[in-house]
Amino acid sequence: MSSTVAVEFDDVSKSYPAGWPGRRLAALTNVSFAIESGEVFALLGPNRAGKTTLVKILLSLCQPGAGRVARLGQPITDRTTLARVGYMHENQAFPRYWNAAQLLEFYGALSLMPAREIHNRSNQLLRFVGLADRGEEPIARFSKGMIQRLALAQALINDPELLVLDEPTEGLDLIGRRLLFEVIQEQRRRGRTVLLVSHVLGEVEQHCDRAAVLLNGRLVHVGPLNTLTQDAKTGTARSLEQALLDLYERLAA
Amino acid sequence: MNLPIAILTIRWMFRDTLRQALASGVFWLMLCVSLVCTLFCFSAGIQGDPVSLERTGELTEFLPRHGSSGSDLDKAARSGVDVVRGELTLGFGAVRMPLGRDAEAAVHLLQLLLAGGVADALGVLLALVWTAGFLPTFLEPSAATVLLSKPVPRWSILAGKYGGVLAFVGFQAIVFVGGTWLALGLRTGVWTPAYLLCVPLLILHFAIFFSCSVFLAVCTRSTVACVFGSVLFWLLCWGLNYGHHAALATPQLQSVAPAFQGMVDVVYWILPKPADLSMVLFDALQADNSFSRLFDYQTLQSLGAFSPELSVLSSLVFTLVMLAASARQLATTEY
Repeated sequence: MSSTVAVEFDDVSKSYPAGWPGRRLAALTNVSFAIESGEVFALLGPNRAGKTTLVKILLSLCQPGAGRVARLGQPITDRTTLARVGYMHENQAFPRYWNAAQLLEFYGALSLMPAREIHNRSNQLLRFVGLADRGEEPIARFSKGMIQRLALAQALINDPELLVLDEPTEGLDLIGRRLLFEVIQEQRRRGRTVLLVSHVLGEVEQHCDRAAVLLNGRLVHVGPLNTLTQDAKTGTARSLEQALLDLYERLAA
Repeated sequence: MNLPIAILTIRWMFRDTLRQALASGVFWLMLCVSLVCTLFCFSAGIQGDPVSLERTGELTEFLPRHGSSGSDLDKAARSGVDVVRGELTLGFGAVRMPLGRDAEAAVHLLQLLLAGGVADALGVLLALVWTAGFLPTFLEPSAATVLLSKPVPRWSILAGKYGGVLAFVGFQAIVFVGGTWLALGLRTGVWTPAYLLCVPLLILHFAIFFSCSVFLAVCTRSTVACVFGSVLFWLLCWGLNYGHHAALATPQLQSVAPAFQGMVDVVYWILPKPADLSMVLFDALQADNSFSRLFDYQTLQSLGAFSPELSVLSSLVFTLVMLAASARQLATTEY
């Protein structure tokens, strides 16, 4: 596998038990694509398309039923590469008995960061997400937006080479969203890889280089965003939303 | 397996659990129970002129004060019989009870009630109930996914949590046993070091049954399942353990079908043995002078049906199997 490839899915399939013994529901079917290092890559698709399953496989939260997956140049069975991955998801719940600074210290330590680096990095991130003055406060007192900002800081604590954002703008206010986009731009500038799963297509259009589209667990498109937004027949540009609707309609037909 | 990473994870999860315990009401609730019991012990005292009966291994001849007239007591005392004269007071003198034997025996009886009744039965049960929510809350997908996507082995996360809960319960056991021992010692002047053996035995008892709670937590992620499951399992084990010994110690039950007897034996050796653990505690506290045993354990031992060492060892094997199964379950659980 090439060293410039940050993530590679090779013929990945996954199914879940469907309630009835012996019956299984396919979540992913023969999905293959790669994300180059330094790319901001979007994973798109309607609900139950298999996006979160793919992310979970990438993060070793579940195992693929078939196929190979590589993360930062290594097979996903090698958990050490997770030390170079940051992850933020939409329904983040943190232990309510920690305060923000302790929480970052906790996740920093479990990301195998040297102890002396954690403190500095944690202070820097709390300042960045606007929680510096609330660092010593129990998380139990935080609002949903503050929890999401803390989740962003948590995802960045280990200065990740690969940042996985699953519906990150959920619950974030305007300032929080702006911070998030600053993070994405900064990651791009530093040659880091970002995988963004989002239903907010304006954000995707604004920040992503390439996208993969999943529908019913199958990969239906992968490539630069403009290959999706440009109408193949007329050559005219259209919004990503329109492009996706056209794609779903065409595939349904 | 990378051992330094596993150790680091266990250390952090241990800290996490202690913080969780401290932040929860459980810590203060258990501390309150210990405080009430310590205060109860601190309210106890020995008054009057208690004699100290010599303990030579045989029951010393003595005459309790109550039930004997004054002239009988004087006669007895003149003829060399020890006469018990003191009183055990509780509630700072609100309740007064004539000593049955000497001060040591009265304090010993209090310690047995605290260790066997409050700590070993009620304490272990309440600790199981109160700590049952620690793991399911932490294993909720919304809370666990970020943690499980860290480069640390899942079994070490579970080991840290288990160790943290044991340390928390161990701390509470030390406070309870240490506090009551100190209070009774200060008030009565009777110091019984054997009472301190309750601490490791209570932790052992809890550790065995908490492993069942851990297994239920990783399988169901439900606090209700952990509470009811572990308490029912504890009661079931008590019943089976008691039933096994009752069947052997009762001659009328000897004629039960050998196949059934064999099955009971197998179940007895597989499952934890809370009644046996209580007997080990009973022995450690030398409770024979105050209470009669449920069974004639010497008969059981002669039948090869009870061995304290094997009993504890097999309960520990059960604990290890449950923890290994829990670790495997967590390692293969898909989030």
